[in-house]
Amino acid sequence: MVTRPIINDHNTTTNEITFREMNDTELAQYEKDMAVGEAKNIALAKIATDKAALLAKLGITADEAKLLLS
Amino acid sequence: MSKQTFTTGQVLTAAQMTSLQQTAMGGGSTTAKTTSYVLVAADAGTVVQMNAAGATTITVNTGLFAAGDSVQIQNIGAGVCTVTAGTATVSTAGSLALSQYEGGQLYFNTTSAALFFDIVQSSGMTNPMTTTGDTIYSSSGTTPARLGIGSANQALGVTGGIPAWQASSKSTLTTTGDTIYASAANTPSRLGIGSTGQVLTVASGIPSWATPSGGSMTSLATGTFSGATTSISSISGSYKHLVLWVTDQYGSGANKIYMQFNTDTGSNYTGQKINGNATPTVESQSGTLIQTGNGILTTSNGDGYMLLVLPFYSTTASAKHFDWWWDRQGSSNANEYIYGTWNGTAAITSIEFKLESASTFSGGAYTLYGVN
Repeated sequence: MVTRPIINDHNTTTNEITFREMNDTELAQYEKDMAVGEAKNIALAKIATDKAALLAKLGITADEAKLLLS
Repeated sequence: MSKQTFTTGQVLTAAQMTSLQQTAMGGGSTTAKTTSYVLVAADAGTVVQMNAAGATTITVNTGLFAAGDSVQIQNIGAGVCTVTAGTATVSTAGSLALSQYEGGQLYFNTTSAALFFDIVQSSGMTNPMTTTGDTIYSSSGTTPARLGIGSANQALGVTGGIPAWQASSKSTLTTTGDTIYASAANTPSRLGIGSTGQVLTVASGIPSWATPSGGSMTSLATGTFSGATTSISSISGSYKHLVLWVTDQYGSGANKIYMQFNTDTGSNYTGQKINGNATPTVESQSGTLIQTGNGILTTSNGDGYMLLVLPFYSTTASAKHFDWWWDRQGSSNANEYIYGTWNGTAAITSIEFKLESASTFSGGAYTLYGVN
């Protein structure tokens, strides 16, 4: 049996800490959040790749590019 | 009848028998005296009764009485009559000074040594007690007085030089959490416990519990990151700001940390992330969550910390700003500062943390503070 991700919920009013598996809604949202993060990583990686390609095309370094834009 | 020497064949008269009977009963012939007197041999077996307004003495000398003789001495006058040893000795366990209507028996052990057995009136005492729990004390000299019982848990003290039931620590402290203090000199008073988060302060010269007016930090919760999501929830709205301090956060992967408020997964988060590494970078963020760089290591090496500040977190008039730092010394040697906005107007009542790539938290001791 595959267990679902665990939520550690600390109720600061009662100081009660509970550990429970995510319900369907929470699991769906959790998977969305993970996908958002992954997409952001891909986007950041693409930016880095595009930047490197552009610098190569221009024949300048990153520091020289910063100097141009300063 | 005074002491007699009877002879063989002597016939006693009725008067003599009556006198003997009186003597046997402790009475007998009485010689009244109105001035100080020196006992003589003829006093043996008689009553010497002093009746004088002023002080007098009855003197006892040796060689007058035989062993076994006795003399009753009475004082019916207002003046004190003192049995005084002349040439004989007079021993007593009581008093030789006889006040009015006191007396005693002078008994001769030998011709020169007498014992005095005094009969002294007891002054007695009128019992002042009237009620269960009463205590007797002297209100003045030998004057007895009644002290009624106090109320429950009072203690016996002294007021104006006499005993009195007074409030005690036990009678003053009536409720759990009570504190005792002096509301005036020598006046114990009760201070009921304050509410959670209040501190002991001074107002008008006496202690009181009060909510801190500013500058104080109250620990609201402590715990440890774990699971896929750590949610710090049901946060009180009673403070101006929140501060979350985390040490040694680590997880199952060296990943980014995601943060959301109030389980809001809408596209309501914006921020700017500044990396303070050897090659600093700045990254804008907007979306359904805010994320760090790789703020989590996979081991507990004690060199990481995270600090989240939420100013005016409970206002409902505007969006909320946040300031989020994390730092790792040692091998990874990285740090970041993220400042941003959660575009929600509700008071922040929960903070959710997740890890990238479905990693899980393995540790990270946190303390949430309310700040005023």
